[in-house]
Formats: sequence, C-alpha cells, structure tokens
Amino acid sequence: MRRATLVSLALILALSAATLAQTAVKKKRPLPYEYGRVVINNYSDKGGLAPVVFEHWLHRAKFSCRVCHVDVGFAMKAGATNIKPDDNMRGYYCGACHNGKMMYQGNAVFASCSKSSDPQDLPRCERCHSFGRTDTTDAAFVRFARPLPKERFGNGLDWQQAEESGLINPVDFVPGISVKRKSLAVQKDFALNAKLVGMPNIIFSHKKHTVWNGCELCHPEIFVGVKKGETHYSMVGIFEGKYCGVCHNTVAFPLMDCQRCHSTPVQP
Amino acid sequence: MGKAKLVATLVFLGLTGLYGVCAPEKPPASSQGEAKATEGWQKEFDDICSKTQDAMTFTAEQLTALVQRCDALEPQIEKLDETRKKVYLKRLRQCRGLFNYVLESKKKDNK
Repeated sequence: MRRATLVSLALILALSAATLAQTAVKKKRPLPYEYGRVVINNYSDKGGLAPVVFEHWLHRAKFSCRVCHVDVGFAMKAGATNIKPDDNMRGYYCGACHNGKMMYQGNAVFASCSKSSDPQDLPRCERCHSFGRTDTTDAAFVRFARPLPKERFGNGLDWQQAEESGLINPVDFVPGISVKRKSLAVQKDFALNAKLVGMPNIIFSHKKHTVWNGCELCHPEIFVGVKKGETHYSMVGIFEGKYCGVCHNTVAFPLMDCQRCHSTPVQP
Repeated sequence: MGKAKLVATLVFLGLTGLYGVCAPEKPPASSQGEAKATEGWQKEFDDICSKTQDAMTFTAEQLTALVQRCDALEPQIEKLDETRKKVYLKRLRQCRGLFNYVLESKKKDNK
C-alpha cells in the first residue's frame, strides 16, 4: 500500500514536471507594438546603460530592409552585428543615420552614442537605451498605425498595402551609405508545392520580396540552394527560424498567417 | 652688420615662434594617405556591388570576373580599421555570395 502511494506520487511529480517543462517553452505572442522589437545588449550593461530597444516598425516605415541589412550592414540575427558605441560614433550602424546631421521631415535625426559623459546627454542616450522603461514607443505606434491598412497578425498592419497606397514610403537609397544600383528587372512569381494534402500551394512573389530586399539579402545567406526543388524546406525548419522564418516570424507577417503564402486555390 | 644679423635672427626667431615651423610638403597628421587609399577601394567596392541587380543578366564569364574582383578587393578591406573592416567585409561577402550563387545556378542549368 505504502509502495503504491510512493509510485503514484512519483508519477504525479514526473507528469507535473513534464507539463511545466512544456508550458515553460511556450512563447507569449507579442502585441502589435512589440512585434519586431529587438533588444540589443552587447555592451550596454558594461557601459552602465539600459539595453537598446530597437523598434522595427518605426524604421521599416522609413527605409527598405535592404538599406539597413545590406547597405548599413546590420546582420539578420538579433545581436549578431555586435555594434559597439565606437562604431556608432564613427558614423556606422545606428550612427550611419543617427548622426545629428541627417535630415528627416525637416528635422535632424538625433545623434547616437557620444564620448561625452555629460549628464545633459542622458535623455538622448535613453531614447535608444530604453529597456525597462514604460513610456516608450507604444503610444507612438498606436498613433502611427491608426491610418494604415490592417492585418490580423504581427504588427496588425498590411505593410505592403500601406506602401502601395502611398501611406508609407520606405526609401531604398541613402546618400553616402547606399550603392547606386539600376532598378531590378522583375522576376516571375513561382509556385512551391505544399507537402500536406489539401493544403494550398505557395505562390512565392519575387517582386514583393525584391522591392524591399534586393537579391543579396536572401541569396545565398538565407536561401542557399541554386536550383529550384533542390532544397527541401520544411515548416519545422521555418518555425526554427530558417528560410522564410528568418523574417516571417520576427518582422514580416508571422507564420500563423498561413493563407498569405499558401494562397493557390485548391483544385477540386 | 653684426647688429643687422642679430635683428634678422631675432625677427626670424620671432616669426618662427609666432607661426611655428611648417612642413607644407608633408600632409598633416590626418588621413590624407588613408583617404586616397580609401577612395581606391571604395570606388572598386561601389562599382562591384552596384552590379548585384544585374547579376541574373550576366554571363558566366562576367560573373567569374566579378567574383575574382571581390576576392582581389578583400585583402584591401582587411587592412581597414575594425569598424570599416566589419561593415565592408560583410557587404563585400554579400555581393560576392550573390555573384557566385548566380554563377553556380547558371552552371547547373547548363548541365
């Protein structure tokens, strides 16, 4: 009898541990204003500052993905660029635009890191080094999002529609940073077969992707295969942050919005 | 005469003290040399990476030449300071990667 109780207790404990372990890895779905947020803390702690909170929504409304991830040189993985304050001060990375000189809508873009330890500079530092503060950009997002076309997931916005209707105008060239390129010839859309029976096939639009990314952002770093059908993509890999998952679970519309990619009508 | 020499020497010393000794033929401690070198690699970098949009239209020979130009430029960028090295090596590798990707793709198509 006593042995049976012990076995039951052990079983309950083991099951509880397994359940807790499963729930512990569950991620909270980010709120619209949090989606795409990146917290950068390579050196902030060491400098006695709060980590930097980078809002993708704020920047992608102004610049194409390529300006930042090709021309400025930011890595595609959070924290991988290893930005140092000195890099910013010398006019690279955040300092490429946040230099106190670049003009945007008639105002100079505030400068990023500086060598001075003047307490008067602190409010400027805290515009980026804002982790843990409650009065950040959330309210600004609500104001920004109000006139834009809505979507269900991610930031809750249809960014593509917003650009097509002229409500946002992300620039693809920044003087002094970008390389002058010819406009890209439009590549044809193509279909990728879904692996599940009944799941609509994917229509991949090169046009939609090259408008913001160019070619070199995706090839070969994200999509290595040189021949169609050679690389076997899986949703598991994509959910792990490979291939489409590099952007479509972090900044671009998330993977749970299935029908935006699986968009071919199923034939009866 | 001795007095004149003394006056001339004093005037010379005074002027030297006032304006300092200049060596106009030598560049100031800034980076004039570096700027020239920068211009060289930067021009080549800009020229190479401005062609990424056209990668699909190039022949295999043209793509091979571009990859070789990237490889030739890399050692020059390696010599830059830490920040520029980090930025431009990444950018150059992206350009090289794309040219090589399209080249490999064309080779496979021809097989």
